[in-house]
Amino acid sequence: MIMEQYTEENTYVVDLGEINSAADIIFNLSSLLDNSEARNKKICLKLGNVDLNQAQILSIKSLINGINSILSSIDTKSAETEKVALSLGIIVSNVSPENITEVNPEIPYKTAEEFKNETHTEVQEEIKETEVQEHNENQETSAEESVNTESVKREELQNTTEEQVPTEDKAQVQDELEVIFGSDPAKTSIFNMEIPEDLYEEKEGITDIIVPEQEYTKEDIELESFPTKYIKQTIRSGQVINYEGNIVIIGDCHPGCEISAFGDITVWGVLSGIAHAGSAGNQKARVRALKMNAIQLRIANCYSRRPDSLNTVYIEKTNSFTPEEARIINGEIVVFKIND
Amino acid sequence: MAGRVIVITSGKGGVGKTTTSANIGTALAKNGHSVVLVDTDIGLRNLDLLLGLENRIVYTLVDVVEERCKLKQALVKDKKNPNLCLLAAAQTRDKSSVSAEQLKKITDKLKKDYDFILVDCPAGIEQGFQTAIAGASEAIVVTTPEMSAVRDADRIIGLLEAAEGIESYKLLINRVRPNMIKSNDMMSVEDVENILSCQKIGVIPEDTGIITSTNRGEPIVNNEKSLAGKAYINVARRINGEEVPFLDIDEPKDLVGKLKKFLSGLGKHGKEQ
Repeated sequence: MIMEQYTEENTYVVDLGEINSAADIIFNLSSLLDNSEARNKKICLKLGNVDLNQAQILSIKSLINGINSILSSIDTKSAETEKVALSLGIIVSNVSPENITEVNPEIPYKTAEEFKNETHTEVQEEIKETEVQEHNENQETSAEESVNTESVKREELQNTTEEQVPTEDKAQVQDELEVIFGSDPAKTSIFNMEIPEDLYEEKEGITDIIVPEQEYTKEDIELESFPTKYIKQTIRSGQVINYEGNIVIIGDCHPGCEISAFGDITVWGVLSGIAHAGSAGNQKARVRALKMNAIQLRIANCYSRRPDSLNTVYIEKTNSFTPEEARIINGEIVVFKIND
Repeated sequence: MAGRVIVITSGKGGVGKTTTSANIGTALAKNGHSVVLVDTDIGLRNLDLLLGLENRIVYTLVDVVEERCKLKQALVKDKKNPNLCLLAAAQTRDKSSVSAEQLKKITDKLKKDYDFILVDCPAGIEQGFQTAIAGASEAIVVTTPEMSAVRDADRIIGLLEAAEGIESYKLLINRVRPNMIKSNDMMSVEDVENILSCQKIGVIPEDTGIITSTNRGEPIVNNEKSLAGKAYINVARRINGEEVPFLDIDEPKDLVGKLKKFLSGLGKHGKEQ
């Protein structure tokens, strides 16, 4: 479940090659909504063996359109997906990760995996103080030498831990660090920051990109540990969905339905019923939908209703959606357009 | 004085029970009475939509019955008229969630505080119908001038006569089209009355405004120009014991017809010149 992202001039490549179910692809893609780097770009989607049908590809396309980007091409191993994509007029190309790294030596975006490996290396170094010094010295010298230390370190890493060494060349990462922080060792000491290790523990089903400054509360961790239920159908009037975790719905939720989840609710479609996220009291839970038309929104113990001024009867069925997200701010439910 | 519990029923679906409930309730509340509308159509609720209160419902009839909330909490106040309250049905359950005894308990409680309790009955003659009429002492049978609706109304009147609690019942004839009656394409109001041998309490003309008002969530009695709205206001006054002459639903149509003729005549005249 690795989601790698690279940016080159105006193209943004999302690598979901190791994900084997449509549910996880969609879940991972939804994190694009929070990522400002993916906006106004041409998006290349790299998929593995997953068979996607027309409706799924169309909804992926509409999500990407929702963040002002264009789905420029799809790379897939599945013949089924390829066929459907071609029938929808989407370019199917082969984008192998090697090609991208050659074309694009600068990788400003770090994934959680990369970050994790770096900190692990750092932990190793702290044990051997002499190595730390050597490392700092090497940073001051040329990049070529740092390649050597890196390769040595990698060997040690393989000996001591079972951790997989990232496919990226460490030297390249080192180069970048110099670009970002300069060669001053004082500045590179950002990696000596004390970061609790469990922060980078990979939770099942979710690989999150972690920003070190982010404060992690009990509720955040609780949200991450929730399992996710994936539902692919239209939820009609009178239907109730309760789940002790997150819910992802691919389809519309018609007026008169009720969805309640301990965690987040994500609707890939029009949400017009009643949604209750964080029904066990988690204030950090959120409700997301491609089109928010909910009669009532409830998050934890907060409640809000659709304004009377909105025309309740007619739901516009259009192809253009503005994804929206509702969350609690100062005790009130606020709905944000994700574009803004 | 204890309030009156009136059930609005029909047997056949789609004849306008819910529209009638919403409009009579609003009209009564406008006249200064305190009114509760009880939707017993559990699983297929619509009354909230007609009143435009869909987004305010938190607790429903089923929640009250299952004691998840107090009765007062479940009463949704109308946007415009503070005299009018709605006790909504649950959308996610079915008719078996509320029994006749349970509904009777609720209407008996409501009787103490409100002048009128209008119970919107579901279509059919099964459990839902039996539940809805349980607490009521009066009934309004809604029908349209169609054979199928009249037959079903007849069946319902039979059941109402057999029911213990119902002391009186009246007929409300909905969707009447005077022009079709004139051309002998529709049963007249008198025909319906004769077939059912039942006293009428109101005649409501067909009005396209009903569709608009349903979609907007605004009862048509709030529209003073509408003929159907006027007819519903009259029904509310009759329920209250006033003697109101039946609206002549023919006349305005004629006026419009005359006016049309007059105008078209003018137009032709103008062209000739």
